[in-house]
Amino acid sequence: MSTETFDPQLLDYSNRPPRLPSPPNEANDRIDIPLDQRMRMYELQQELRQFEKRAYDLFMQNLVKGTSHLSLGMEAVATGFAMAMRRDDYTFATYRGHAHTLARGVPMGPVMAELLGRGTGLLGGKGGSMHLTSVEHGMMGSYAIIGAHLCIANGAAWSAQMRGSDQVTVAFFGDGTTNIGAFHEAINFAAIWKLPIVFVCENNLYMEYTPIDLVTPVEHPAADRAAAYGLERIVVDGNDADEVYDTARRLIEKARSGGGPSLVEAVTYRHGGHSRADPGKYRPKEEVDAWLQRDPLTLYHQRLLRLGVPEIELTKIAQDVARRVDEATEFAKSSPPPDPESLMTDVWADGGSSWRR
Amino acid sequence: MRQRLTPSGGLVGEAPFDIQLTRRLYRAMVFARTYDRKGMALQKQGRLATYAPFEGQEAAQIGAAAALEPNDWVVATYRDAALMWAQGYPWELLFAGRTGDERGGSPPEHVPVMPPSITVGGHMVHAVGLAWAEKLQGTDRIALTSFGDGATSEGDFHEAMNFAAVYEVGCIFLCQNNGWAISLPRERQTKSATIAEKAIAYGMPGIQVDGNDLFAVYEAVKEAADRARSGGGPTLIEAVTYRRGPHTTSDDPNRYRDPAEVEEWARRDPIERVRIYLSEHGAWDDEWQAAIEAEAQAEIDRAIELAESMPPLGPGEILDAMFETLPPHLEAQRRELVEGLR
Ligand SMILES: Cc1ncc(C[n+]2csc(CCOP(=O)(O)OP(=O)(O)O)c2C)c(N)n1
Ligand SMILES: Cc1ncc(C[n+]2csc(CCOP(=O)(O)OP(=O)(O)O)c2C)c(N)n1
Ligand SMILES: [Mg+2]
Ligand SMILES: [Mg+2]
Repeated sequence: MSTETFDPQLLDYSNRPPRLPSPPNEANDRIDIPLDQRMRMYELQQELRQFEKRAYDLFMQNLVKGTSHLSLGMEAVATGFAMAMRRDDYTFATYRGHAHTLARGVPMGPVMAELLGRGTGLLGGKGGSMHLTSVEHGMMGSYAIIGAHLCIANGAAWSAQMRGSDQVTVAFFGDGTTNIGAFHEAINFAAIWKLPIVFVCENNLYMEYTPIDLVTPVEHPAADRAAAYGLERIVVDGNDADEVYDTARRLIEKARSGGGPSLVEAVTYRHGGHSRADPGKYRPKEEVDAWLQRDPLTLYHQRLLRLGVPEIELTKIAQDVARRVDEATEFAKSSPPPDPESLMTDVWADGGSSWRR
Repeated sequence: MRQRLTPSGGLVGEAPFDIQLTRRLYRAMVFARTYDRKGMALQKQGRLATYAPFEGQEAAQIGAAAALEPNDWVVATYRDAALMWAQGYPWELLFAGRTGDERGGSPPEHVPVMPPSITVGGHMVHAVGLAWAEKLQGTDRIALTSFGDGATSEGDFHEAMNFAAVYEVGCIFLCQNNGWAISLPRERQTKSATIAEKAIAYGMPGIQVDGNDLFAVYEAVKEAADRARSGGGPTLIEAVTYRRGPHTTSDDPNRYRDPAEVEEWARRDPIERVRIYLSEHGAWDDEWQAAIEAEAQAEIDRAIELAESMPPLGPGEILDAMFETLPPHLEAQRRELVEGLR
C-alpha cells in the first residue's frame, strides 16, 4: 500500500505485482436458470460486446462526439442485473453506461446515434456517451460526477417506497467511487431508511489510471465497507453472468419485499483503457493477459457448450447481433445532426429554457 | 465497551495513572463544567450568541487531551471547549468566539488547536492534512480530531478516514457519541451497531469506550497516540457519552426525548465517579472541593472579563482573521461595507 512508492506523474503501474483473476467456477453451471433464458443472456452479452467494439472503432474514426468510456470485459454485470430486473425498475449508471442502457432494452440505433451526436440520438444528440438516459426503459441516466448519482438513485428508491410501487432501484458505480463522500452518505441513508435499492460496485481494479488498492485500506473497496452500514458483505464474480444474475435476483427480491438495501461488489476488469483512446498501458501485461483469458463471453460460451448447446446456434446468435450492430451503425451514420432549433430546449421539465432568454 | 471506572467509582483493573494526576484532571473537569454552566447562563443574559453545552462530556474531552503531548494538534467542534482549553486554547477566546467576535477564532501562535468547526465533519479533513504534513516533515507530532455521532454520516468523515488510513498518517479520530445529533437519535443515524466498527471499512483499529470514564478514555487515546506517533497510522475511538443539555440554547430537547433518559445519564456522571474514586483513596474532601470550585469560578470570571473588555471590532475588521492576504473580491466587499457605514 503506502509503502510502495510510485511517481504519480508517470502513471505507470505496469511493474506492480499483477492482480490475477480467480479461476472460473464450473459449479455455476448448475445454478437454476432455464436454458432459454441463458440463451438470451448470451445474446445480450454479445450485443453489449459487439456494440462497444463498434463504438471503439467509430471513436478511432473520430465519429464519436466527446469522450466515451467502454464496458468491454464487464458485460456480465450489466447482463446479470438487467435480467433480474422488472420492466419498471430503475437503473442508475455512471458515464460508463452504454451496456447498462442497452441491457434495459433501449434499442441500439438511437444509442449509437447519440454517441455520434445525431438528431435521431436517444437524447437528440445533446447528451452523448456520458449521459445516456431513457426513462421509459427505466434507464434513469448516466452520470459523470463520481458518486453523485448514488444520492439521486436513493431519491428514486425513496419515491418508490413512498408510492408503494414495489419498484427496485439498481445503482452501478466503480471501485474508485467507494472513496467519495457521496458513496458513504448514500449507503448510510439507504440503510437507515431501508430503501428498495441495490448498490452494485463494478470493481474493475482501476480508477482512471490508479489501481484501487493503492488508495484503499481494505481488500474489497465496496464489500469490506458493508459492515459500516450494517449490511451483508457480498462479493461476486463479475465475469460470470449466472453468478451475477443469481445474486441480483436474490437482492432485488429482498429489496422488493421490504428487506432494504444491499451492497454488492462484482469483481471484473476492463479490457481497454479508461476512456477515449487510452490504451491502458499502465497495467502489468501479465494481468491484462490473464483477464483477457478470463473473458465473460468466453466463459459463457463454454458453459453453454457444456450444457449441450450446439456451437452453430451460438455462432448464429453472434452473426445476428453483428448484423444488428451494422444496422445501428448505418442508422446513426446516415442520420442528420441535431436541428439548431433544438439547442434551447430540454432544460426545464416543460421542455423550455426560459432562463437563457 | 472498555471501562476502567464504573459509575459508582469502582476501579476495573488498574488505574492508568497516579492519584496526583487524577486530582489534576478532576480539577480540570470541574473547571470545564464551571465554564459550561457559565456559558449557558451568559447566553440567557444576552451576553453570548448561541451556546452549545457539553455538560456530561467532560471526561471524554479532558481524558483525551491528557493523553496527548502538549504540541499535538487538536481539531474540534463547537461542543469541545474543554478539549480545546486543555490543549491550550484560552477560555477568554472561547468566550469571545461565542459572542460572535472573530478574534475568538484566532488562538495564540503556540497553541496547536484549530478554531472550533461549526461545519459538521468538515474539520476532520483538516486534521488529516495536519497529520500528513507532520508525517511528510518527519516529526512525531500527531493530530486528534473530535466530532459527534452525527458527523459520522458526513461524506467528509469517509474521505478523511480513508485518506488517513491509506497514507498511514498519525491522526486520532475521536467520536463523542452523545446519543443525539440535534433531534436525531443515534439509532436513526446509522445502521451499524456501533460507531467504532466503522473502522473496519478503513482497515484501522476501532475502539469503543465508556466516554464518561476518564481512565478508559485516557487509556484508549494514549494507545492510539502511541500507535500514531510510532508510524502505526490512525485509530477511530468511539467515546459513548451523553449530551445532557439541549443541542444549543436555541433547542428544546423536551420536544423529542424522554427526560427519564437524561436522569439516567445524570447517574453516570463523569465527574462524580472520579470524586468517589478520589475520596476512597483519601484524596478528596469538601474543603478541597470548595477551594477548586472557587478557583474555577475566579478563572472563568476573569476570562469573561477579558472577553468582554476587548475593544469591539470595527466593521472592516471582521474579515481580518480569514486570510493572510484578503482576496480581491473580499477586499472590495470590505471597502463597500466600511464606506456604506460611514
Ligand atoms: C467527483 C469527481 N471527481 C473526479 C472525477 C474524474 N474521474 C472520472 S472517472 C474517474 C475514475 C473513477 O473510477 P471508478 O469509480 O473505479 O470507475 P471506472 O471508471 O473504473 O468504471 C475519475 C476520478 C469525476 N468525474 N468526478
Ligand atoms: C455540514 C453541516 N450540516 C448541518 C449542520 C447543522 N448542524 C449543526 S450541529 C448538527 C448535529 C451534529 O450532531 P453530532 O455530530 O452528533 O454532534 P453533537 O452536536 O451531538 O455534538 C447539525 C446537523 C452543520 N453545522 N454543518
Ligand atoms: Mg474502476
Ligand atoms: Mg451527537
